[in-house]
Amino acid sequence: MHYIWKEWKENIKGKGLWLSFGIIILVSVGLLFKSFTLSFDQGFYVLLINLFDAFVYFLPLLCLFLGAFSIFQEKEQKTLIMLLTRRDSFTSFLFKKSLAVHSMLIVPIFLWFFVYLIPAKFFFQVDLKSYFAFLVSIICIIVVYTQIGLLIGSISRSRMQIVGFTIGIWFYFFFIHDFILMSFLPDISYENVKLFSAVYFLNPIQAARMFLESSLGVYSFDHMSKLLKSFMWLKPGVFLLANGSILLVVSFIIAIIFHRKEGSE
Amino acid sequence: MRMSIRLLFLLSLIVIFIPSKGLASENLQAIIDSADDGAVIQLENKTYEGNIVINKQIEIIGDKKTVIKGDGTGNVVSIRSPYVTIRNLTVTNSSLDRNSSEEYAAIKVYTDHNVIDSVIIKHFFHGIYLSQAHFNTVQNSEITGLGKGQIANQGNGLHVYYANDNILKNNVIEGTRDGMFFDYANRNQMNNNRISETRYGLHYMYSDHNAFEGNTFTFNTGGAAIMHSRGIKLENNQFIFNYGHKSFGLLLLSAIDTVIEENTFFLNQRGLYIDQSTNSLIKNNQIIKNQIGVELWASSNEQNFTLNTIDENTLPAVTLGGQGRNEWSVDQKGNNWGKTFPVLDLNQDGIGDQPISYQSSLYELIEDQELTYLFLKSPAVAVYEKLNQFFNKNETMFEDPFPLVKNDHPSIHWIWYVLASLLILTVISIKGRHQLCIIFGKNGRKT
Repeated sequence: MHYIWKEWKENIKGKGLWLSFGIIILVSVGLLFKSFTLSFDQGFYVLLINLFDAFVYFLPLLCLFLGAFSIFQEKEQKTLIMLLTRRDSFTSFLFKKSLAVHSMLIVPIFLWFFVYLIPAKFFFQVDLKSYFAFLVSIICIIVVYTQIGLLIGSISRSRMQIVGFTIGIWFYFFFIHDFILMSFLPDISYENVKLFSAVYFLNPIQAARMFLESSLGVYSFDHMSKLLKSFMWLKPGVFLLANGSILLVVSFIIAIIFHRKEGSE
Repeated sequence: MRMSIRLLFLLSLIVIFIPSKGLASENLQAIIDSADDGAVIQLENKTYEGNIVINKQIEIIGDKKTVIKGDGTGNVVSIRSPYVTIRNLTVTNSSLDRNSSEEYAAIKVYTDHNVIDSVIIKHFFHGIYLSQAHFNTVQNSEITGLGKGQIANQGNGLHVYYANDNILKNNVIEGTRDGMFFDYANRNQMNNNRISETRYGLHYMYSDHNAFEGNTFTFNTGGAAIMHSRGIKLENNQFIFNYGHKSFGLLLLSAIDTVIEENTFFLNQRGLYIDQSTNSLIKNNQIIKNQIGVELWASSNEQNFTLNTIDENTLPAVTLGGQGRNEWSVDQKGNNWGKTFPVLDLNQDGIGDQPISYQSSLYELIEDQELTYLFLKSPAVAVYEKLNQFFNKNETMFEDPFPLVKNDHPSIHWIWYVLASLLILTVISIKGRHQLCIIFGKNGRKT
């Protein structure tokens, strides 16, 4: 709790958090305005998909930066050294810090989307189950990318390194991961499709998207071919959970192994 | 005496001029059998046991809670007389047997000139089955199937078999195998029906000269599949959210002389999917935000696209298996490609100064590997296309010699958005942050 309060107080003084919330609010309000013309029945689903599509462009980047700078600030202000010398191991520190950063991001976003539901209810037939699925997919993306951001902050020694790592990782998940998989597409057969699918769903954006679209009922898994059935060998929710867990644990472990206690700036 | 004569006369008038209204009892079949042609049977607010066969020209009217419940062994209501009307009741529990010689339905119509109005249909194999029945009207009815998980175990919402000149309007069909299935059925009209969560909203085989207007197809595996048919007209329909792995808004397969006008194809995996079809006119449609706007196989020829808005699709149009003889403009009027292909119109005649040519390399992957569809939402598609363009692996997908230019003035909404954004950012960076620091933390700047 102490860490969460400290994180909150530190971040409300900075511009990063407010900028992120500002962008999220503006984008969601803008899309709500734009969706007024949609039909009462389907408009809500269109809105949720549009929101997701818009968020995946900037939310990972914001979370990566917020997570990274949150750790780096501890290095800059020498509070990391102080905390570690006093009583904490880096593992314990990172765990508490991760919880604090996640809470600081998730709680206000969750609250905002609770408020957001009110105007949405006036214009669309709101489906709470679908809305919850949307929140889960967005929160998964936030958690995963923030944790990767914390990894970047842990291993970086300068702000330039943070910028480089962040853009590199964002670029990888946004473009390169799928691009590499696309180049393997002609060689995919029944024998290797499960492996291909496992790697495909390692991209949080794809895993969250598939979970969202199937939960909304817009992406149908009826009448699948044999190949696609093999590809979807787990439910989308399980893929998302597995993806989240793997990336969280791996980021955490790498951060512990390769962390640096001091920044050069 | 005079009084008695008057009373007798009045009673005679009632008997002669007012149609007989059967008082429904438990045995509905007995009531029907005892009714005369032209009788109106008013049913009570209760459940009547089926199955029943109507072989007289009667009208059956129910109330809010009137239910005709079948015994689960056959058709619940069989209409074997022409000029029958069924109105305002619920029909349920037909046989779901798939191994019987007959395909059962909640209401099976074998005759002509019948009206089925405001009927709710549940738990059936087929909902309403028109079997060699002509000039019937099915309207304002709700047909709810067993749901998506049970699609293989059930039949269609409206099954039209060797039936011509029928009108199907204002019906809501949900969760059946196919919403409407047409087999050898000609000159039918389908207006303002809403079909969702089925395999194909509309499935069409060997049926000619039918017209669809104002229908909505949403959340289906395939919106409408028109196969082996001629002279079909689709006007002002909406194909939205047919979004599955290989879903489509509208499939034309071996369809000839189809007219597709003023429809909306929005958020489908493929807006229009055309294969082995000839001579279609695709005009004035909105093909927006689909993964693939138009998927056109080389076996299709003389597909004429004009005055359509084809914008914000991941791939606007792909031609697969080679190039067919298709036209992307009619009478020197092409299509509006919006932000996908911005064009100059210096002479301001509404037609772009240069033709549009769309190159893509993704067609090979789409042809060879069905999993390619999984990547259509990925930003990596743009990188893939650019890279292949660099290595000259792209093929021309289509050429629109006369692209339309729409002079869109920026909407006033966007001005408000920008102003609101600036205002919020200013408040946050100047006032809000300062105040919040004071409220929430001792470390806040108080001056």
